[in-house]
Amino acid sequence: MQPPPGHVHATRFDRMLAPLHRWVWSCDQRRVQKLLRFGETETDGGRDILRAAEMTSDPLLRRLYLKHAIDEHRHGDMFRRRGADLFRTLTPGLKPAFQAEWLAPGGHGADDLEVQDESDNDLLAFLHLSERAAASRFSVYRDVLQHDEPTCAVFDEILHDEVFHMNYTLTQLTRVAPEQHRRHLWHARLSRLGKGYLRLATRLAGVLGTLLLTIQYFVLLPPFALLAKRAQRREQVGWHPVSPDRNGSLDRQY
Amino acid sequence: MDGIQFRLTETVHSTDSTEMKILGISAHYHDSAAALIIDGVPVCAVQEERLSRRKNDPSFPLAAIEWCLHHAGVEPEDLDAVVFYERPMLKFDRILTCSLRTFPHSWRAFPKAMRNSLGEKMWVRGIISSHLGIPGRKILFTEHHQSHAAAAFLTAPTDHAAILTVDGVGEWATLCVGVGERFRNDTARINLQREIRFPHSLGMLYSTFTAYLGFPVNEGEYKVMGLAGYGRPTMTDRVRKLIQRTPDGAFTLDLDYFSFHTTAESSYSPRFLELFGPPRSPYEPIDLETSDGQRFADCAASVQQVLENTLVEMTQSLHQETGLPDLCLGGGVALNGLANARILAESGFERVFVPPAPGDAGCALGAALYADRIHFGNPDREVPDHPFWGPSVNGGDLARVAGEDGQQFRDCDDQALIGQTADDLAAGLIVGWMEGPLEFGPRALGHRSILAAPHNVGMRDRLNREIKYREEFRPFAPVVPIEVADRYFELPPGGTRLARFMSGVFRVRPEWRPRLEAITHIDGTTRLQALERNMAPRLYDLLEAYGQRSGMPVLLNTSFNLAGEPIVNRAVEGYSTFLRSGIDVLVAGNTRVMKRESRVAHREEAVA
Repeated sequence: MQPPPGHVHATRFDRMLAPLHRWVWSCDQRRVQKLLRFGETETDGGRDILRAAEMTSDPLLRRLYLKHAIDEHRHGDMFRRRGADLFRTLTPGLKPAFQAEWLAPGGHGADDLEVQDESDNDLLAFLHLSERAAASRFSVYRDVLQHDEPTCAVFDEILHDEVFHMNYTLTQLTRVAPEQHRRHLWHARLSRLGKGYLRLATRLAGVLGTLLLTIQYFVLLPPFALLAKRAQRREQVGWHPVSPDRNGSLDRQY
Repeated sequence: MDGIQFRLTETVHSTDSTEMKILGISAHYHDSAAALIIDGVPVCAVQEERLSRRKNDPSFPLAAIEWCLHHAGVEPEDLDAVVFYERPMLKFDRILTCSLRTFPHSWRAFPKAMRNSLGEKMWVRGIISSHLGIPGRKILFTEHHQSHAAAAFLTAPTDHAAILTVDGVGEWATLCVGVGERFRNDTARINLQREIRFPHSLGMLYSTFTAYLGFPVNEGEYKVMGLAGYGRPTMTDRVRKLIQRTPDGAFTLDLDYFSFHTTAESSYSPRFLELFGPPRSPYEPIDLETSDGQRFADCAASVQQVLENTLVEMTQSLHQETGLPDLCLGGGVALNGLANARILAESGFERVFVPPAPGDAGCALGAALYADRIHFGNPDREVPDHPFWGPSVNGGDLARVAGEDGQQFRDCDDQALIGQTADDLAAGLIVGWMEGPLEFGPRALGHRSILAAPHNVGMRDRLNREIKYREEFRPFAPVVPIEVADRYFELPPGGTRLARFMSGVFRVRPEWRPRLEAITHIDGTTRLQALERNMAPRLYDLLEAYGQRSGMPVLLNTSFNLAGEPIVNRAVEGYSTFLRSGIDVLVAGNTRVMKRESRVAHREEAVA
């Protein structure tokens, strides 16, 4: 059943994480960082949806995507403005020790969208789930931000739009794929799960890679660093002649 | 074939199997692009961002390559060579060496740099080979500054010219000088003679100030130039501490003030901040009424002046050394129109050529031309002197989408369309103008432009407020027929050449400033486009028609995009931009759409 406009029930999982979100949002510096980051995420999401509007051949979808993109762009502005307002009240130079990006993602923060590779059916299913997840998270953020009325008001206004986005994407999915909309939704769920796994794996691999490279940096590089520094001291400043053979072969990569 | 599929449903050029076909590619840092030359002449070129719709898209330009090949009717296996615009291993050598030299301060940057390089950037030959399904021996590599030099010299209508290329950094070089020459036997030669090497870089100096002033690097340099007009160069002594000239006429940066060579997080060091004060937050607007706002403007003016002085001195030396009348400028720094104009005025060179895409995107074309003329020794061919190498716009597409949305649209012949558009502009309407092939390079030069009357400051404010959503200190540019450009603007000898692709900033004549308020910057200058009829005949006719109505054939010409988006390519992208902004009229090909109270922006379809 669709929720009435402006009203969203957070999922049980998001409600369960409310104490964590309360902690994440309690730090002023972190709140600023998150709002500014959300601003970027919403604007990026808006660009993707704008791209969808420019790609689709369905006139009604084009209009709806366009309105959706305009909304996302406005949300980005609202987050940025609120973040900038809060930023002015902070002590300059202070940064949160822990930014908790992945603990409290933004609107489409947890989703990757390759608009040009998606059909309207798949895109609508994807957007519906994405908007629903965002609305659920945002309703929790709004609830834990009661002490910060202006920020709470921003989430409140955005939630109103998110409900519209959730509803139109589902309605349109039912229109363009009346027999198969459930299958598309399941497909989108699995796809999100798969992408989530890939993201996690990539991030983990990134952490391990950074760790290994940092170890190599301190273990293997020092003698070479010494040589490089000695060579640098001998290097002339100013012009360097370009040897004629540099203007020659194009076969080599070095 | 492994990788992308090439649709050959409709092609524009028929090709002969004996003609040499060379594809140039630039990618992986910012603004990737592809360009195709056949039989020594460019056939098409496009930046990936215009197709992917991601501004400054640095990814491998698959869509651009696909479009170029499709447009020319060429299969990948028909290509004689694919030329990448720089040497990846030499670049890696620089990254690794710099990490070693700055040990142990580079410990944070090192893993990032290695992952970045080892991930994709070093395996360019394999990537190209697998995407296009061609053997590795067909893949060639130019040096970054060779590509810049070729893009500047081999596209310029000159037989013998000095060459100066300046940017942030390529492999090792940040600035190169040399000479280009065309011979009577139809061969060409580019001889790069000397270079300045990383980390000593004019581009990095300017980018460091761009970051300090709170603008995005590789994108916000225009803003620094615009902001400079509002400031006074009161800090040049301080900027001079950062950059010193060497006895041989080159320069070095004092690296104590910078951190771009040790970390990816920041370009400037704490010592830089001691000298110039706290940086601007990107989230704070610049208020020129405040002391901080004025400090930032003065800072921009100071670095701009130091950049200009350095370039002028170097080009003066180059002119004395070569004795040549022509100079070809390339590299991202050649987008600095203020510096270009001073080089023209003070260096001694009579003509200065800047290609329409002097930055990294243009290297795709430069690399292909270099391989053709220099590596293969093919005869030098005249390169058409225009920037329109991209996909063509289709007015029928606009008619279709506008019709589906119930918008008023009309298909008219050229004469009626131009007359109607001139009427619209004279009535103070803002026109989105799309015609023919897309521009290659960062400037909208009349095929994807937003046009408006240039006469009063209200128009500038409206454009900033309702369309471009950008800072008020950023100026707008005019377009004017080349024959009358000198009437309205103070153009030195050779100025119209620099103004051909909007590459120079010149003064608006004082007597015309009250009638050209919207395009006159605070310092009385403007970055004009002097239009030759044969480059964009319809726009030229529009200027004349507008001149008959207003008494002045000058229009404000700004790129057809919104903040944070690339310039539009297809009609449907122009249409969505039209709907989301304050543009009143949209013209694509011969189709004209007039804005009425937009139903799109306000309507929530009764479907929820």
